[in-house]
Amino acid sequence: MLRTLLTAVPITLALALPTFAQDSFPDRSLRIVHGFGPGGNADTVSRIMAEQMTQGLGEPVVVESRPGAGGTVASGYVSGEDPDGYTMQLLVGGHAVAAALYNSLPFEPVDDYTFLSTLGQFPFFIAARSGEYASIDALIEAALAEPGSIVIGHSGVGSTQHLTGELLALETGADFIHVPYQGGAAASTALMGGEVDLIIDTGTVIRGQAEAGVYDILAVTSADRWPDAPDVPTVSETVADGFDVISWTALGAPAGLPENVEATLSAEIARVMAMDEVQTQIAALGARPQGSTGAELKALIERQIAVWTEVIDTAEIERR
Amino acid sequence: MIEQFLMGLSVVLQPEILIYAFAGVIIGQLIGVLPGIGAITAISLLLPVTFYLDATSSMIMLAGIYYGSQYGGSIASILLNLPGTPSSVVTCLDGYPVAQNGRAGLALFVAAFSSFVGGMIGVSILVLAAIPMTHIALRFGAPEYAMLVVLGLLAASLVGTGSQLRSFAMVLVGIALGIVGADATTGFYRYVAMPEFADGISLVSLAMGLFGVSEIINNAAKRDRTAPKIKVNMRDIIPTRAEARSLGGPILRGSSIGSFFGALPGTGAAIASFMAYATEKRFSRTPEKFGKGHLPGLAAPESANNAASQTGFIPTLTLGIPGDAVMALIIGALILNGIIPGPRLMVDQPMLFWGVIASFFVGNIILLLINIPLIRLWVLLLRIPYQKLYPVIIVMICVGVYSHRTSVTDVVLTLAFGILGYLMKSHRFEPAPVLLGFVLGPLLEDNFRRTMLIYRGDFMVFLERPISAVLFGCTATLILFSIYSTIKKHRHRETPHAVKQR
Repeated sequence: MLRTLLTAVPITLALALPTFAQDSFPDRSLRIVHGFGPGGNADTVSRIMAEQMTQGLGEPVVVESRPGAGGTVASGYVSGEDPDGYTMQLLVGGHAVAAALYNSLPFEPVDDYTFLSTLGQFPFFIAARSGEYASIDALIEAALAEPGSIVIGHSGVGSTQHLTGELLALETGADFIHVPYQGGAAASTALMGGEVDLIIDTGTVIRGQAEAGVYDILAVTSADRWPDAPDVPTVSETVADGFDVISWTALGAPAGLPENVEATLSAEIARVMAMDEVQTQIAALGARPQGSTGAELKALIERQIAVWTEVIDTAEIERR
Repeated sequence: MIEQFLMGLSVVLQPEILIYAFAGVIIGQLIGVLPGIGAITAISLLLPVTFYLDATSSMIMLAGIYYGSQYGGSIASILLNLPGTPSSVVTCLDGYPVAQNGRAGLALFVAAFSSFVGGMIGVSILVLAAIPMTHIALRFGAPEYAMLVVLGLLAASLVGTGSQLRSFAMVLVGIALGIVGADATTGFYRYVAMPEFADGISLVSLAMGLFGVSEIINNAAKRDRTAPKIKVNMRDIIPTRAEARSLGGPILRGSSIGSFFGALPGTGAAIASFMAYATEKRFSRTPEKFGKGHLPGLAAPESANNAASQTGFIPTLTLGIPGDAVMALIIGALILNGIIPGPRLMVDQPMLFWGVIASFFVGNIILLLINIPLIRLWVLLLRIPYQKLYPVIIVMICVGVYSHRTSVTDVVLTLAFGILGYLMKSHRFEPAPVLLGFVLGPLLEDNFRRTMLIYRGDFMVFLERPISAVLFGCTATLILFSIYSTIKKHRHRETPHAVKQR
């Protein structure tokens, strides 16, 4: 028994050793954790990255789904893991929303993270049934003329889509009725059926319908016109100067990542992001492939947390 | 329509595409048999594979998994009272008693045949009436859904075999469990004791616990451990002429109900099968036979859930709008192939559109052909002594439940619901109405509150909109009919009494 135990000691040490010898990072499998269901957008992006990073890092990168409470279950988990670079998290725009929306989170949305890079960015489109409104200006005019007459369907209370609608109301002074649905698809059905007048959602929900002539896209929420849809005016240039909402996917890791590990991961992500294949795959999901530095990602998240906090306060949305 | 369908058939009958249809339905069938592991898990695991396939093959395979799992779901329900998918919960109600009476083969045959007919009727409606069905579905707004669910909840109290009061109490328990999680209208957390509850209790946990786990506890607690008699002769598998004749109506009604509910985004196969069962029971001349191994009570919901899983593709294919989470994944596969799903799919991608629809036709035939010979094999499963079978089943349930949301809490909850289910059973409370309340409760609340938001608290909207008014009328008629038949029964009991007194 004792002998067995003694033999076990060096083995245990040998297993523990690599954690310290970070020069050889990575020397075992890595994980990309995300907080959404398998098969969704976050999962797909994680898998695209994992597949290529496995090639580049020479160790398997595994995708792990820990869904729950708008992704915050996964964030609570990842921020508690060792900052050794073996655990990364795929973050989405909802991370900034959660930071503003939840009363008590089991993690610090900014301070508990080493941010690595954005992967893709995408705007939201504002759409109405074809022929209902000539332009976004006409829509806002109608809303101002008769407060409470225009109903916006959104994909759930506290979703970025919902908060974008609230922000539009704040910035233009229009008074909308915001109606929650179970996801963007259900809201889109309600728009088609005539139950709501407007939806604000991603290109994947809206653009197929617009191409078929069912919807008119009135505006895009990004600060500048979106390269894929150059004819669509921005909210900023029409009804609310300075309006800028984009969502994004990004990679982060627990705070306190050693510099060399952070450098290795950042370089690898930059390499993958430059690949044509990856760019095509991310674009297929309706996003613009876009890498960044960790500092840029951190600034983006901090800016968005500030905006959403203000929206939630002013619109008096219940914090949870 | 027929011409395009034939073109679709020519697409799907190419060997390199047929193989994916075959693979899809086989995987779906197997996944459906395994308790707790649903089509959604299988499809999300296979999604990366579709990176390497063209859009048509991907769609055909993923869709095959979806409706194949509906076939498979009935097998464990009938043999072990273990619903493989939430929509096969209703299959347990009469399917399991038939098997307990020693006619498991017959039950499996009836299930497979009803599924086949239901599936085929669903496909026919998809071919002939996809566009009109789409228009009807789009006219279902929040007020219509709210009224439809009220009708459904009323029907729910008919599902149980015992007293209606007890059933109704169980519906309320289900509604209460459905409240847990974030309130969809305000985002406020209700009964969220820990973050794991934020998204509510999982339907799979509840179904597996109340049916599967409680049945295992029940069997383990029994003194008498003799296995039910098993007959595996072909003669015992085929229904008698009288039995066959009694199934025509239920299968046709079940298929119609299923086709209708399937086409409404957001309701789906589970509600369709409950509605089909409740309808059969309500209009049966022998409602007391339901729940004790009555074949129409098995045939109706089986045909309904398979019809629904076919017409469920109507909003997905004609509008590009996914009706449920599985459809969302299938649409995801299309997007990855560079096809943006929308109303133009039928025009821009006719080969894909009609190929997929034709593959349902072929897939249903494949499923029937593989299921009939397999019946004898499945029945042999019952020869395994129960004490050797149940540890395996428990492990499979745990794996299945865990795979849904990778949550240990869900597994613990499943076992807790198992104990609750056992206690309920020993006090003659039935689990099926709990499940229906659980599914329909949140649907009613969301749609009612949505209606109030949109129409600014005006109750009259329920009577002003035509479809909602008709549904309201049906509900009122059903209530009046119940009152009338109760009074009539009472009179009947009193009349002979009065005669004697004279």
